[in-house]
Amino acid sequence: MRNSGAVLILSFIAKLISQAAGVSAPGKPRLTSCRSPEKETFTCWWEPGDDGGLPTTYGLYYHLENSETIYECPDYRTAGDNSCFFNKNDTSLWVNYNITVVATNALGRDISDPVEVDVAYIVQPNTPENVTAVVVDEDQGPFVRVSWEKPRTADTRSGWITLQYQLRVKQKKDKEWEEYDAGMQKYYNVFSLHPDKEFMVQVRCKPDHGFWSEWTQTTYVKMPDYIPRERSLWIMITIFSVFIVLILTWTLNVKRNSVKLCLLPPVPGPKIKGFDKQLLKSGKSEEVFNSLVIQGFPPTIDYDDLLVEYLEVYDNEEQELVLDSKDLSEDCMKSKSPSDCDSGRGSCDSRTLLLEKCMVGREGSRSDQHQYSQHGETSWASTESSECQGLEPGSPEFSDGRVKTWPVVFSSPQPHHHYQVEAVKPVYHSVPEILNHSSPHAMPANYQNLQHQDIPQQEGRFGKPACRHSQSYTHGLDTPAPGVSPSRSLEYVEVQRINPENMLLLRPLSDQNREPEGSDYAGEDYSKVKEVTSNNILLLQRDTSYLCADGYSQAGQCTTQQPPHPCKPVIYQSHSGMPQEGMRVMGNGYVDTTVLMPSY
Amino acid sequence: MSRSLKQVAVLLVALLCLDPHSRVSSAPICTHGPSGCHVPSLADLFDRVIQHSARMHSVSNDLHSEFEQYFLPSKNHIGKIYRKCHTSNILTPNGKENAQKLAREELTEVILKLLMAWRDPLFQLHQSMADQQDFNSFSSNKALEMGDMAHELRKGVEKVAEKMRVLGMLGNSVTGLSAAEAMLPLSESGEAMSDYELLYCFRRDSNKVQNYLKILKCRIVPEHDC
Repeated sequence: MRNSGAVLILSFIAKLISQAAGVSAPGKPRLTSCRSPEKETFTCWWEPGDDGGLPTTYGLYYHLENSETIYECPDYRTAGDNSCFFNKNDTSLWVNYNITVVATNALGRDISDPVEVDVAYIVQPNTPENVTAVVVDEDQGPFVRVSWEKPRTADTRSGWITLQYQLRVKQKKDKEWEEYDAGMQKYYNVFSLHPDKEFMVQVRCKPDHGFWSEWTQTTYVKMPDYIPRERSLWIMITIFSVFIVLILTWTLNVKRNSVKLCLLPPVPGPKIKGFDKQLLKSGKSEEVFNSLVIQGFPPTIDYDDLLVEYLEVYDNEEQELVLDSKDLSEDCMKSKSPSDCDSGRGSCDSRTLLLEKCMVGREGSRSDQHQYSQHGETSWASTESSECQGLEPGSPEFSDGRVKTWPVVFSSPQPHHHYQVEAVKPVYHSVPEILNHSSPHAMPANYQNLQHQDIPQQEGRFGKPACRHSQSYTHGLDTPAPGVSPSRSLEYVEVQRINPENMLLLRPLSDQNREPEGSDYAGEDYSKVKEVTSNNILLLQRDTSYLCADGYSQAGQCTTQQPPHPCKPVIYQSHSGMPQEGMRVMGNGYVDTTVLMPSY
Repeated sequence: MSRSLKQVAVLLVALLCLDPHSRVSSAPICTHGPSGCHVPSLADLFDRVIQHSARMHSVSNDLHSEFEQYFLPSKNHIGKIYRKCHTSNILTPNGKENAQKLAREELTEVILKLLMAWRDPLFQLHQSMADQQDFNSFSSNKALEMGDMAHELRKGVEKVAEKMRVLGMLGNSVTGLSAAEAMLPLSESGEAMSDYELLYCFRRDSNKVQNYLKILKCRIVPEHDC
């Protein structure tokens, strides 16, 4: 009783002393882990507790299951401090080990909690060895082939351990590793690595029932610079764009009406005053177009204006060629000089077809350049040749004064040049074109002081000597030589015939080769039409006094007579049937020829 | 006329059905070597067997951890009494050298013994797990599956042994397992082992089987996997 009490007190005092000294019994150690690298040996590690300030020794003790025999750790050193290494002899598989660690110091000891270990389930192999990463270049692109070897300690050859491997890859800058499972093989191909980058590779392994090993040391591999052929990307892009095109097409199709409206705006309908579309639809075109008819259109022509104005060429006594161009033009253009142009004294011969003379003679001669203007629009019958052209008075070669009655025969305007008054006389000229074939050269040659050659046409020579005209030009039609006698003042030309080329072949009236038809031609004068008989015969009226007073060098047959020689060129004898209704007798006795055109 | 025909047809069918000899049974077409069809090689057989054992082991591992997780909170609980597994009577090599020292025949025999020893206990385990309402159906199904796998594995190993014997690799010293050797899992105290103990023991034994098979394979057909 006393002893126990004394012991208690002593221990208590010792504790107090030890606590005051700072030393105590060791703390409880703790077994941290036990691992077997190849399923043949294993190692256990413990964590020492508080050592109590005193040197403490640790001892590991174990016993097998269903056995009470306690063994101590055979090897404290091999695995380092605070470890216990069990070699092959001491390792039994499929047997539970009950392991404890005892910490002992001067003041006491402590025992760790027991741990049950079955070696078969604590296998953690060593890291794989000899990890190599090689870039392999192939058609599809380069890839990395990683290969390694099993950890040296693991015996896979006998089948005692089967290991499976795992590798991971990343770039230096990446945070996350990309892991690949390699199974039981010792190599792996890594594809789709970015070109021209450096990669880190690590490998680890695990037995079929056990723990993963540690990762190996990093192996670096650099990918070469290549262009990845991202076919799948292009295919995706193509499909996507095709899809978009299809959608657009469908949308356009759906909205084709509005698109049509936008691109091809409708043509506005006609907006004609008085034009009613509805009437058109109803089909009565008459009514529709009636509204379009403008009264008074086409303008009716005052036929008086269409009368041929004859320009008379007067041969003055001096036979000077002076032409006042201006006067000429004026007169010609106006064609209204009362006495001259409309006197009926025009060179309209009954036989002649030709009409126009645009020739105004004057006494004073002036040389002016003149240009004829030619009117191509004169109609056949109309003697709008009253629109005379001005001659070129001053031009010596003038002789070409153009007159045109016949549009057919009409030619382009010819420049007329000065002519010398003396030499050239204005002449009634027939249609220029006709004379084309005659000698153009005659012109210049005939006259003195002619300068230009380009007188394309000649004039018909006409004129009646008896007529007194201021100027007269004479040309020799048939005589290329200076057949133009200055003495001759006027000479009529008659149309011989019309050749197939629409050319009027003219012949001077004074020609002896004239056909007998024209025999009585010379003596005729202009005649007024008195009336038209039923059978298309013109009854002419003779006003001899009038005519003769003009001094026409006609035969002076001032006799009334019957018929006719048609005065107007267009007025044919009834060889060609004239429409009866077409004839109109104008007030002054002239026949309106416009109407007499045979209607084709 | 049609009626009589019908009767005849019925009679014929009945005869066919009733006649035991006309029963159709499957028979191997190519019993005479590789000319007719593909006969699995020994290596293939070993591979299949090893795969099967691996699957079996993983199932047992799952069951065991599940059991441990839900029903035994602390792994090292004090008072845990480890009863010997009923298969502890079977001498099994507990190391690599020991296993390699064994002859093929012995190794094969060990495997077969182990598998044989577990036929009934696994059935029992499934029964007791199904009875207890603590286990969900999934677990009891796993137990059932485990039992079936063990059965198939045994059959497979027997086939492998047969093949080896045919190929002359195995001597005739392998004795057939008799029904007498099928032991009931009784502990020393005579009590039946609990489910957890059964699971624990089976997990270990399946691991043994798998390991032994691998060693056997790499010893007999050392090819790419070894």
